[in-house]
Amino acid sequence: MTLKECYTALGGDYEDVLGRLRSERLVQKFVLKFLDDGSYGLLCDSFAAGNWEEAFRAAHTIKGMCQNLSFTGLGASSHALTEALRGGKKPGAEELLEQVKADYAATAEAIRAYQAEL
Amino acid sequence: MPCGKRGRETEKNRAAELRPPVGAGAIDRMAKEKILIVDDSEMNRAILADMLDDQYEILEAEDGLQAVAALQKQGANISLVLLDIVMPRMDGFGVLEIMNQNGWIDEIPVITVSAESSSTQVQRAYELGVTDFIMRPFDVFIVRRRVVNTLLLYAKQKQLIGMVEQQIYEKEQRSNQMIDILSHIVEFRNGESGLHILHVRRLTEFLLRKIRQRTDRYPLTDADISTISVVSALHDIGKIAIDEAILNKPGRLTDEEFAVMKTHSLVGAEMLQSIPRWGDGEKVLKTAYEICRWHHERWDGRGYPDGLKGDDIPISAQIVALADVYDALTSKRVYKPAFSHEKAIEMITGGECGAFNPLLLECLSTYSEELRDVLARDESESSTATRDVRSAADALMQTSGAGVSQRTLRLLDYERMKHNFFAAMTEEIQFEFTVSPPMLTLSPWGAKKLRLEEIIMSPKENDALQQVLGPGGWDDVGRALRATTPEHPEYTCERQVRCAGELRWHRIIARSVWSQDDPPVFQGALGKAIDIEADKAEREDLVRRATRDPLTGLLNRVSFIERISHRMWEYPESHFALAEVDIDDFKEVNDTNGHMFGDEVLHELAMHMKNSVRSSDICCRAGGEEFFFFLQYNTDIERTIDRIFHSLCFQYKDWPITVSVGVALGEDVGLSYEALYRAADQALYVAKGSGKNQYRFYDPSMEGVATDTNGQGERSAP
Repeated sequence: MTLKECYTALGGDYEDVLGRLRSERLVQKFVLKFLDDGSYGLLCDSFAAGNWEEAFRAAHTIKGMCQNLSFTGLGASSHALTEALRGGKKPGAEELLEQVKADYAATAEAIRAYQAEL
Repeated sequence: MPCGKRGRETEKNRAAELRPPVGAGAIDRMAKEKILIVDDSEMNRAILADMLDDQYEILEAEDGLQAVAALQKQGANISLVLLDIVMPRMDGFGVLEIMNQNGWIDEIPVITVSAESSSTQVQRAYELGVTDFIMRPFDVFIVRRRVVNTLLLYAKQKQLIGMVEQQIYEKEQRSNQMIDILSHIVEFRNGESGLHILHVRRLTEFLLRKIRQRTDRYPLTDADISTISVVSALHDIGKIAIDEAILNKPGRLTDEEFAVMKTHSLVGAEMLQSIPRWGDGEKVLKTAYEICRWHHERWDGRGYPDGLKGDDIPISAQIVALADVYDALTSKRVYKPAFSHEKAIEMITGGECGAFNPLLLECLSTYSEELRDVLARDESESSTATRDVRSAADALMQTSGAGVSQRTLRLLDYERMKHNFFAAMTEEIQFEFTVSPPMLTLSPWGAKKLRLEEIIMSPKENDALQQVLGPGGWDDVGRALRATTPEHPEYTCERQVRCAGELRWHRIIARSVWSQDDPPVFQGALGKAIDIEADKAEREDLVRRATRDPLTGLLNRVSFIERISHRMWEYPESHFALAEVDIDDFKEVNDTNGHMFGDEVLHELAMHMKNSVRSSDICCRAGGEEFFFFLQYNTDIERTIDRIFHSLCFQYKDWPITVSVGVALGEDVGLSYEALYRAADQALYVAKGSGKNQYRFYDPSMEGVATDTNGQGERSAP
């Protein structure tokens, strides 16, 4: 699997990220780093514990990383969740969290598959 | 005028020292510039770092607090901050607020990095001094371009500020020098002592500050005070036009001569009026004009040249007039000797030397002593030089305002570097506290030792700090520091501090920091805490050993005397009794049962004594089998002594122990140890002589019994 195929599998925009970071090496480095980030775990835990402020920050961080990596799918759902948690939990946040979980799982699966073939 | 000259040379040296080499802006720096990246997401930091680390040195901070700590430590060594907004513990706005409070934002550009794009957020960031924005997602080209642009912009700005500062500084120096030259010419011609101008200036400044402190009738800014003081030197400039024969005539002037002399105020004013004026110079000339023209007016309207009355005379001229008169009185002139400071004040306040504003006279007499000290310091040449440098520095601060912070900050950076280096080297708890923002900074070693953060915001509300200092500890120290003064800012105390869970004694040595305002405002403190647990334990042990009898734990004779003398001095109206106790036939106890047994008896007796007196009473083993106790009593001392006496007679391991006791009362012999001891000893002697195992109160009839071993006691134990 090439990096470009990995992007297709996780619903990202490879042309966009390469345009900004200008080097396949950099893109690869940060894609592989994505799974090391603890924000997703923090999001799930603090959401379960009802700590909306921390959940907001975690969602916000995920959104920021997705923007930088052009992970369009997870980026969109984490953006929606961020807004649903800004200044406290708004109705519909649970559904949005489920969407983030699904997108994250797909993203993680694609990255692991790509990593396995390196 | 050797002191003035030296003063100026020193100023010049200092100016050279302060002046940055031309072009020493950010561009020419050899080392890589430092960029601080503040973002809670490690990946975001890594992406930015990757984009920039080939050209810049990258520092990273995970949240706002770490960012503040880095700024605190590195100061303007950091060339640029890339700042995320949404972060735990302290967000980006919090960092910006602190950067504003400390003035860092003027020195260090900030680019905000955020996915936040709501216009209120952007607006708020701009209001807090942010230079630019970088939006996520990052684009290598945009990030690099913005960073370079911002750094170039700041470097150019710094250079420009430096150039403007330089010009203002030089201009100011030139005009001060002109004033000095002019006034020295006048001085020289007048044959006045070289110190006259200096004294008038110092006095003027002193009185201006005091009058501002006392009343708000005259709106005087710091700049006004500085201007008036500097141009006070010109007050007699009109004397240039006066014939030298009149100017330096010994003895009284004739009426005609005096009339000529009086023209100098108007002449001086006219000289100044004809100078073209513009910009800032206008204020200086206007003040000089007021002073020249009206420094011989009188509060009662009987002065010259215009006969102005009361506050129609500008405050500048009023004060220079007073300063002029004072210095004339205290200086030797061709026509008079020098009077003492006290005599001069007396003559002025007594109305012998003209009529002045009563408020000024009040200031003069209230602060008379302080004034004398200030002027006395002027006499010493070396301090004159330092002070001139200081006033030059003050003037510099005033004219170039915020710009000078450039130069100052560079020096500060150096100091900060030095401080950080030494703080890291020494194993000491060092701290720094600022009131605004309320922030406590600990040296890295100190923070580790106390298990606290290096930077603590709002320390008063910080739980961990409370644990370390104990309840009320922070407030106690804060109160004591606020109670110090700018003149005596030092403060030392000993407190228990929790170090890694263990309470240990520390000596806290600190000094308060005050603003330059008048009156000064408390701004914070700095200092260190030294662990003295080991010292303290050792000292306490030494004190204990020095004051106690090692066998019984009772006081020894020296500390007993000290203690009771102090007690009697404290309560001179009280009733006191001193009793001397001697174990009967103790030699036999020792000889029969051995010294060990003897020691046990002594110990046992001490216990009995301690148990039968109140804790506030004082017991002592003076040596051998000789004991004392000292009581404070209200009624019926006989019953008390009787009770204690019986408790001191006991069986120890089947061996009967008895004692003889001599008692002396303060009301009989007076409240001195010597008198009490002599009397108690006399009474004990009588008790021993009357068959032991009894107590005796001293009475005067015992006098002379001392040598009579068979003396007849009158009052024996029942």
